[in-house]
Parts: sequence; structure tokens; C-alpha cells
Amino acid sequence: MYRLAARRTELGLLIPVLLLVPLGVVVTHIAQSGRAELGPLAVAVVFVGLMLGAHLVLAWSGHRGDELLLPAVAAMGALGIVMLNRLPQDLAGNPAFNLGMVGTQLVWFGIGLAAMVVVAIGVRDDGFLRHYKYSWGLLAAALLVVTLLFGSEVNGARLWIVIGPFGFQPSEAIKVMLVVFVAGYLAENRAVLAGASLRLGPVALPPIPYLAPMLVVFAAVMLVVVVSRDLGTALLFFGVFLTMLFVATGRRTYVLFGAVLFVVGAGVAYLLFPHVHERIDTWIDPWADPNGSGYQAVQAIYAFARGGLLGEGLGQGLPQVDGRLPIPAVHTDMIFAAIGEELGLLGGVAMLGLVAVIMTRGLRIAVLARDDFSTMLATGLAAGLVLQSLIIIGGNLKVVPLTGITLPFVSYGGSSLLASFVVVGLLLSISHRSIETDQAESAESPESAQPEMHAG
Amino acid sequence: MTNELLRLLLLALQLGFLALLFVILYRFARALRADLRQAEATAAATRTGMGRLVVLESPGEEPSVGRVLQIGPITTLGRDLNSTIYLDDEFASGTHAALTFRGRAWYVEDRRSTNGTWVNGHRIQRPVALSYGDELVVGRVRFRLER
Repeated sequence: MYRLAARRTELGLLIPVLLLVPLGVVVTHIAQSGRAELGPLAVAVVFVGLMLGAHLVLAWSGHRGDELLLPAVAAMGALGIVMLNRLPQDLAGNPAFNLGMVGTQLVWFGIGLAAMVVVAIGVRDDGFLRHYKYSWGLLAAALLVVTLLFGSEVNGARLWIVIGPFGFQPSEAIKVMLVVFVAGYLAENRAVLAGASLRLGPVALPPIPYLAPMLVVFAAVMLVVVVSRDLGTALLFFGVFLTMLFVATGRRTYVLFGAVLFVVGAGVAYLLFPHVHERIDTWIDPWADPNGSGYQAVQAIYAFARGGLLGEGLGQGLPQVDGRLPIPAVHTDMIFAAIGEELGLLGGVAMLGLVAVIMTRGLRIAVLARDDFSTMLATGLAAGLVLQSLIIIGGNLKVVPLTGITLPFVSYGGSSLLASFVVVGLLLSISHRSIETDQAESAESPESAQPEMHAG
Repeated sequence: MTNELLRLLLLALQLGFLALLFVILYRFARALRADLRQAEATAAATRTGMGRLVVLESPGEEPSVGRVLQIGPITTLGRDLNSTIYLDDEFASGTHAALTFRGRAWYVEDRRSTNGTWVNGHRIQRPVALSYGDELVVGRVRFRLER
């Protein structure tokens, strides 16, 4: 019976989150049809069922991992589903299955949640990640090269591998593999990297021989990413890498050095690559070419302006121009602009609050982990989700240059959803293991816990 | 239903949706705070040391498999009863190895033992820095260093 009492915090947080979807779907239906009726609720039923199912499987298996992560992710997913349900359904979706956009996204939610549960419960030992770190790093590099050579081009960037009716974005999987590689390397060499080093006047030089192998692999990856014009992903990888390096060593010089490197690299990219040049110019002044390169940014700014504090209301904003929505990629990269228009500043702030919850929990799981590899892995995975959210939200708001990456759990897209849920599964499994060993320790009586201390 | 009423209904529902979002955030904040309080209590109870050794494999009675040993800044391991951690294993030397916590990291050194001290499957030749999660073999006893 105690199984029913398990994960009560998670259930308590999940229930109000799950109310969001039916409420949002009903509001959208009333606004779009002009009739005060409930309308079709299948989308809400499926979403609530999937989330409750994932919760119940975790509770039934006796999982002891973090209980705030799934509700936070579910809340982001709920906002995403409400928006995707509200947008025209012909924006995306696989024609082979005829499910519409929101239907296809729900299928991916199902696959993603199943993967999350399997990883959270199934990964009892991280040896297959820790011991094969170079293999994961190589696999990531190989996938990158394959995408560069054989990928199909969408919007000027080679990001997709298409096999028959299915396409996927390898960069999502590569992100996770790279975090595994860097975590493994840093855990193995943490003591050396954080310890004594050469000093050159007031500057402490890092132990170069130990840092070099990782820097070489990383530079190669960055080069490929930049050549494939996937700038958002390049920024994301770099940010995650610096975060992990700082957590491993506790040295500000590394972060400073990284920041300088970034500014120099960005400057060089601005001068060398015309598409970088264009992105930056568009960011600084989108109104220079409001109907061409600046169109997307200008439309997003108008959307936020129309939204105001409370929003136009679900289903009442986003006026169509010539029978289509004015913001390009509104269901993927620009979904935050749609949320800003229909749910206003308050909706946007709530979204940022959820991102903050995910970061807090990720770092907490990292702190509680018993070994360096788990700490590094949790830090990198959580930083990946959060930085990705911040880069694309900032891009929508014209705070940073706009780059094409998805908002995790919110944007339409199967690869992103699946990879993000696998990340949550890994975080849950790390959290479960550290809590399990704590239990094992406190189960012993105080006398037997440390007899060796008194043996002499 | 008139248009006016419909607009009022939609406004009420929209405000309800936003209110629900912030109720959710408030509940997250409360759960986070409760968790931090509880974490302080458990940290005080279980995590006083700089590290601990988990016994993964042990042929003899002492130490038994699965035991978690809190370790101090200078810890010796061996078959000698005066060792900080006594090993009931004829493959271990009297004073076999020593663990020391210096600066920010643990170091292990071999005390000229017969069968050597092994870290992650490699026999150590000089004192080496350990990371949390490393495996240590002394005689036939296998440990993992944890935080």
C-alpha cells in the first residue's frame, strides 16, 4: 500500500499543472468558434493521461528520484500543447499519419515520456556512460560529420537527416553525448584541474596537458557546428562546456578565459561568415529591412507589444495576414512570441519561472550526487536544457541575436522532445541513486556505522 | 448568448488561466522551500565528513560488503589492527595504503605493500589524486570513494 503514498509531492504539483491543458483547450475553442461550449477535449485527455501514466509508473516502481522535475517539465509541456492546439494545424505534422500538428506532438510526448521512464528506472549503473566516454564523444563527432555531409538543408542550415518519411535532428542527441563525454573527462581529471598549477605573475595558468585532449575534441565539434551554420547550437555547446568546467574546478579564470575566447570567436565569425554578419545586423536593427531579413524579428516584437501585460487571450491574438500567420516558425523557434502575445507578460514570466525551477533542481541533484561523474553529468544536462531555453527566449525578445533552436518541451518537434525527456530521465536516475545510497547509510545503526574509528 | 457576455466569459477564463499558472508557480516555490529545509536537516545528520568509502567487494568478515565508512583527513588501511580501517584479508599488508585529504582533494599513497594499491584498475606508482567515484583496491577489498 505504501506505493500509493509514494511521490505525493509530485502528484500534488502535477494536478494543477494538468488542469492547464483542458482549461486552455476550452478557452481556445470558445474564442475560435464564438460559442460557449466545451468543444473537443481529446487533446487534453491524452496529455493528462500520458503525464499521469508516467507519474504512476515511477511511483509504482518505487522510484525515489526528484519529485519537482516532472511537474515542472509537464507545465512547460502543457503551455506548449495549449499553444500548438491553438495554432493552425497545417503548419506541421507528418502527412503519412494525418494527425495534425498537435496530434503528432502528442505522439512524441508519449514516446518521450516512455523513454524518460525507461531511463529513470532502468539506468541503475552509469558505467556504460562513464567508462565509454571517448566512444560517446567520437559518436557525437561522427554524427555531426554525417549530418554535414548527408543532411538536408532547411532555412540555410544543414541540421536534418531524412530517412523515408521520417526526419530527425542529430544535434539534439549530440548535445547529450557531448555532455556525457565532458562529464567523464572532467570527473577523471578533476583533482588535477582544480589543484596546483603554473603561475605566471598574478595569472594562474591551467594545467594545459590535462586540458588539451578535451579542448581538441571540443574545438573540432565547434568548428563543425559553426560550418554547418547552426549558431544557436554552437552557443549552447559552448555555454554548457564553460558551466561544467567551472563547476568541476571552481576557477573563475576559466570562465573569464572562455568569455574572452567567445568574444574573439564571435568577432572573427562576424567578419568571416556572411550569415553571421546578417544575423547580428538584424539583431541590432531589424527595422533596417522590415520586410526581408528583419521580418521575423519585427513580427515577434509586434506580437509581444500586442500581448501587453495580460495577453490578447488564447485564440484571440495572432491575426492572420493573407490567410497565414505573420511570424515565420511560430510553432517551433518563435513559440515564445506566440505565448507572449496570447498570455502576455505574465505568461512569459511564468515560463521563465518554470525554467528557473528546472535549473534549481538540476543543480540540487548535482550537489547531492555521490560521485564526480554524476555531479558533472547532472550539471551539464540541466545547464543544457536551461541555456537552450534562455538562448531562444532571449532571441524571441531581441535580447540576444535570434538563432534557430527549439524551446525544450514547448516547441513543436520530435527530436527535441525525445532528447529533452531522455535528459530528464537521466537526471531522475542520478537523483534516485544518490538518495538510495543515503538510505542505505542511515539504515545502519550508529554503532556499526564506524567501528573502525575506535578499533585501535 | 450575446457577444458582450461571451467576451466577459472569455476574459474571466483567460484571467483564470493566468491565475492558475501563478498558483502552480507558488506551489513550486513552497515545495522548493520545504525541500531546502529538509535538506539542511539531512545534511547535518549524514554529511559531516569530507568523504566516505563504500565497500564493494570484501572476502573476509571485516569490512563487510555494502558498508559505508566515514573517513577522516588521515586514514590508513591495512591488516594491522591499529589501521584506521582494518582489513581482514591476507592479501593486504600490515600498513598497506594511506588516504589523505589535502587542499581540495583526496590523495592515496601506497605504503610499500606487497600486492600494491590499485586505482580504477591501475597499480599506483606514486601518490595520486582521487576523484569522487574512483575505485580503490587494497588486497582483495574493493572500495569506492564517495562524497
